[in-house]
Amino acid sequence: MNYAPAISGHVFEAISKNEPFPAEVHASLASEAHVLEIERFDLWYGKSRALHSITLSVPRGKVTALIGPSGCGKSTLLRSVNRMNDLIDSVRIEGEMRLNGDPIYAPGQDVIELRKRIGMVFQKPNPFPMSIFENVIYPLRIDGERDRRVLAEVCESSLRGAGLWDEVKDRLNDSALRLSGGQQQRLCIARAISAQPEVLLLDEPCSALDPIATARIEDLIEELKGNYSILMVTHNMQQASRSSDFTAFMYLGRLVEYGPTQDIFLQPHLKETEDYISGRFG
Amino acid sequence: MSESPRKEPVDKARRVTRRRSERRATSLLSHGEPMVWLTGGALAIASLMILGLLALVLWHGLPTFWPGPLVQVQTHAGRTLAGEVSVTERFAPEPSVVEALPEGVRAAARSELERGEGRTRRRMLRTGNYELSGSHFNWVSDLEIASESEPEWLVLVERLSWGRFYGTPRAITIDGARTEGEPGVLWARFEEHHDEVRARWERRRELEVVEIGEVNHRMEAARLRVRAAELASGVDSDEARAARGESQRVATAAEEDFRSLQAQIATLREQNARYTLELETADGARATLALEEVVRAFAPNRLGTAARLGVYVDRTLEFLVDEPREANSEGGVFPAIFGTVLMTLIMAVLVVPFGVLAALYLREYARPGPIVSAVRIAINNLAGVPSIVFGVFGLGFFCYIVGVQVDELLFAAKLPTPTYGKGGLVWASLTLALLTLPVVIVPTEEALSSVPSSMREGSYACGATKWQTIWRIVLPRAMPGIMTGMILALARGAGEVAPLMLVGAVKLAPELPLDATAPFLHAERSFMHLGFHIYDLGFQSQNSEAAKPMVYTTTLLLIALVVTLNLLAIWIRARLRRRFQGNQL
Repeated sequence: MNYAPAISGHVFEAISKNEPFPAEVHASLASEAHVLEIERFDLWYGKSRALHSITLSVPRGKVTALIGPSGCGKSTLLRSVNRMNDLIDSVRIEGEMRLNGDPIYAPGQDVIELRKRIGMVFQKPNPFPMSIFENVIYPLRIDGERDRRVLAEVCESSLRGAGLWDEVKDRLNDSALRLSGGQQQRLCIARAISAQPEVLLLDEPCSALDPIATARIEDLIEELKGNYSILMVTHNMQQASRSSDFTAFMYLGRLVEYGPTQDIFLQPHLKETEDYISGRFG
Repeated sequence: MSESPRKEPVDKARRVTRRRSERRATSLLSHGEPMVWLTGGALAIASLMILGLLALVLWHGLPTFWPGPLVQVQTHAGRTLAGEVSVTERFAPEPSVVEALPEGVRAAARSELERGEGRTRRRMLRTGNYELSGSHFNWVSDLEIASESEPEWLVLVERLSWGRFYGTPRAITIDGARTEGEPGVLWARFEEHHDEVRARWERRRELEVVEIGEVNHRMEAARLRVRAAELASGVDSDEARAARGESQRVATAAEEDFRSLQAQIATLREQNARYTLELETADGARATLALEEVVRAFAPNRLGTAARLGVYVDRTLEFLVDEPREANSEGGVFPAIFGTVLMTLIMAVLVVPFGVLAALYLREYARPGPIVSAVRIAINNLAGVPSIVFGVFGLGFFCYIVGVQVDELLFAAKLPTPTYGKGGLVWASLTLALLTLPVVIVPTEEALSSVPSSMREGSYACGATKWQTIWRIVLPRAMPGIMTGMILALARGAGEVAPLMLVGAVKLAPELPLDATAPFLHAERSFMHLGFHIYDLGFQSQNSEAAKPMVYTTTLLLIALVVTLNLLAIWIRARLRRRFQGNQL
């Protein structure tokens, strides 16, 4: 394998030799309470290995951003948390993940129940072909909740939580597909938080949106911080630096450096991280 | 085209080829012009053929009920014909036709023929009066006509049997009192009394069909109970004896009802027998018609446009809501409309869920591979099997295997008369459901595969199971596509005739498959179908000339019906689309 000559350091050497290396995890992470612990997690798509022994803990009530160049395995890692990768036949995994102490990949784990504890928002807004109201309460519907009052309450609080209530409160029965892109994405966030998830996964939530809609989503992430533990994939460096508390830098399926966002952006321990942050490669 | 960098030095020969290739690049073909003409032409031809067919059907179908003027012609040979012109055409008469003319007019005829280059006009007159003349129609060429008129009081009578009658009123008998006189006076008397006579006739029909039918039904039910009890507990059992006693009682009571009904019928018949109308035909013969036999009568030559329009509307309504008479060539086609709609709807109810489930398995559950591909190809090929084969299958499997089993299990008392073991509504619907299965499966599969995977993922991420995702996300989103399949199936099913001949469509069904007696929907009954009706009118009719316009009109009706069903489905689909699709990112 051949890398840009400007980059040097033990990480790239190790990767090129296909040797394991310890990720640089900042000490301040140890003092956090963790909602999600990932331990020595490997993932293969058929024969090609997408994740190499990832060990990473997501702090409770904070926003953690996963950054890294395309194809570094950020999204794969994210989708492994709620076992969306199960839908792909060729995927094989090793290692462990724990959500609040419960092993996610335990043999008897009920995937459906597990996914109900995890909210997920995708890159492209994916509202369902139904009314706004039905979209928001979808997780409750599939759980069999029928009490109109409960549903209405959850709908309102989730939409308020996602900063969409004032815009749609008069047309809850309209098709969700007629909202604008930004509104649709906030609707998806409302849907994701309506089931009170223990962790919220955001997979590049702004990449399909215009700058104004992006700004609103970032504000929203700011507001959600504290109430929800968020694990977010982003391509946008500024977004990571603005919105997240912690940042993990991934490269070619490995975790390279993980620490408080300020440290990662201002004084990274590794040269590779600095190079990526400053745009020298990626 | 691509701008590839020129690297090699360009010698002369090369330049020539280049120039040629450049010219090719901007040739007419690559310009696309011929393709526009080709594709546009294909579309134009296709639509021209469809429009032509529609225009033909409209041209022949719409005027069927229009009352044209009645003409009376006197031929040189001394015959008098009166009737409605139904066909006008130019033809080349044999020389003998001219020879047969009286000497005085032969020269005029010859010069007429010369002017027309050997051709002249002939008309087919619907002369009716079948019981007197033995024919419904007569050709008359212009050469033969000595004089022609449109007599004011020539009356057209549509009656229950024997076809139409054309004649001039000469006498009318009202309640036994015969009056002769001016046609106008007689006609006023006719119109005064016709409705009451018809009302009595209708009452009589109702007694004969509905009430006597009900009595028969009661007796039959009692007899079946006896038979069922005998089958269940033996001929000498107490139950059978009790049932026999009960049946005896029912039969006695029914006998009484029957006699009283017969008496009523006889009274009505006697009353009506005292009303007759006497008409004189164009050639001077007299005929007496019972007033109750007259469905509609009017003097076309006295009618203005508004009155003609009235007759037109009246006849059209009769066509739509009445039962057929005269071997289906007159009257209405209501039972056929009803049968077609009911059968098509039952078919849709059967085929859509079934097809959707099959498509769901193929698209959502089955692991793609050679077996699934083979199944898919088999389904597509099913659409190419001749429909008569489906009819044979329906007859052999549904009627003779399934139907016979059903009869043995549930209707043993009625045997050997089959209930389900013969052609019937349910078997016809099932056969057509089978026939239209690929038409539903293919678009449904397409619709399912066009549901964005992001929606499914979103649903799974919310913790939905596969079935919840299918039921709440995939199916609603695919609904417009499924509706497309249904529309195609409706169109295909409503227009299909061949298999129906084997599995339950009949020329004349005495009873509608849906009525007020339990169990209301009589799925085992034979039914009438517009498509079969068209075939029957066109090819099986005794009076084919009279049936011909009805063929077009019935075709028009069938097309209108299919279009209506389709528009309904399209409307529903548009609504669903608005609801489920909106502006997708």
